[in-house]
Amino acid sequence: MSQNVLVELSDALADAAEKAGKATVLVNARRRMPASGIAYASDLILTADHVVEREDGIKVILADGAEVSARVTGRDAGSDLAVLKLERSTHAVAEATKSPARLGQIVLALGRPSPDGIEASLGTVSAIGGPIRTGRGGMLERYLRTDSISYPGFSGGPLVAADGTVLGLNTSGLANGAAVTVPADIAWRIADTLVQHGRIKRGYLGIRSQTVDISEASQKALQREQATGLLIVGVENSSPAAKGGLIVGDILVGVAGEPVLHHDELFTRLNGDVVGKSVSIDLIRGGQPQTLNVLIGEK
Amino acid sequence: MNFNGTFTQVVDEFVQQVMPSLVVVRGHRFGAGSGIVWDAAGLILTNNHVVGRRNPVVILQDDREYESRLLARDPDVDLALLSIDAAGLIPLVPAPTSPRVGEVVFAFGHPWGQRNTVTRGIVSALVTVQKRRGEKLPVVRSDVPLAPGNSGGPLVNAKGEVVGINAMIIGGDQSVSIASSVATDFVKKAIRNGTSANKREERVPSDVM
Repeated sequence: MSQNVLVELSDALADAAEKAGKATVLVNARRRMPASGIAYASDLILTADHVVEREDGIKVILADGAEVSARVTGRDAGSDLAVLKLERSTHAVAEATKSPARLGQIVLALGRPSPDGIEASLGTVSAIGGPIRTGRGGMLERYLRTDSISYPGFSGGPLVAADGTVLGLNTSGLANGAAVTVPADIAWRIADTLVQHGRIKRGYLGIRSQTVDISEASQKALQREQATGLLIVGVENSSPAAKGGLIVGDILVGVAGEPVLHHDELFTRLNGDVVGKSVSIDLIRGGQPQTLNVLIGEK
Repeated sequence: MNFNGTFTQVVDEFVQQVMPSLVVVRGHRFGAGSGIVWDAAGLILTNNHVVGRRNPVVILQDDREYESRLLARDPDVDLALLSIDAAGLIPLVPAPTSPRVGEVVFAFGHPWGQRNTVTRGIVSALVTVQKRRGEKLPVVRSDVPLAPGNSGGPLVNAKGEVVGINAMIIGGDQSVSIASSVATDFVKKAIRNGTSANKREERVPSDVM
């Protein structure tokens, strides 16, 4: 009977829920029902930013039922992630997946919204998308959607593969209440930055722009095929763009040597890494390509 | 190996193994619910709220219909035990231990009157709900879709063992099944009290006369 594939699948899913469940905690940082979190290091909990409504008196309940006080180490509304530091360590730490999620993959959404125990729902990865702008002023380069049920209090909990590794962090705070999953590699990377700096830096250029077609003549002058660029329609006073010499009427076509066709690509290029650095901006001005160096500011 | 073919075949065999133990319980006031063949000699377990005031009709998989006798009922745990005059039935076995969160489970029943439906999911949580007298009733929450008509039917694990009795009425919009340990205790108690209950049942007509 144990050779039965159905029983094997069932055992594997229960094992996965048990393994990942040990690193799934309850996060009590809001007035309404508690939410969930992932033990991302022995004394650090990764959770959703939107469930952390207060910074004082945050309580975390571990898998063994122990209640531990925690404080905010770093948070980023743009990616809806927050890192909490526990007053004392937990031994179970979540294992992030080494193989990225695949469409159709069987997954479990886990949460610990009550001290009674772990909760789970079954689904498959229905979509892998991105980049998208989040409703909270951030940009997510990649996201997952699943058809698993997000029970109340599941935000901040893990999406788990059949081997018990964590594929990402579930949250209903990024896409107007719909559940999306921040992939583990991105969530862990942002968490590392939050631990180091307490926040996520975002680059600031200081322009308003709209997408326009680039004429064939301009493409020829640019010496590459690029259908669209960003027509600058406004430059904020004493902004990095103004100081760098960008003017209304320029068409921005590239940042740091990489083509920029849409706003989202500009947004992606202006990540925290370029803050405080001089970055080359490729333009078309009067039909001719031109490159200016701009010292990127911080939002 | 054609995994998909194997898997489909295993699920198919699994459904065929469990289905004979699923019955229709037709009360008189409400629509039909589901029931579970609990032993070969005609014990049928269902939800209390499926059973109306009079003895319900039990319909087996081969469409044979039986007037049932109500042996015991307990609104606190929402269970009722019926008996029909049939033999050689194929009962389901309760799981010896409580299920694990994440386990694959299937609900068998007749949602919205649709006969012999199977829905699948996993055990979502093992929780307790408050009974009327304040005691706690252990229940199995799952992400298995349930609808009215599933009530009284089995929630079955991958081995075909009963892990819960589906009870829409307790869970509201969530899928909740009464833990099979509660059902086992209820049946044991009902059988232990069986003789006295039977006597009481016999006494009723004489009182009326």
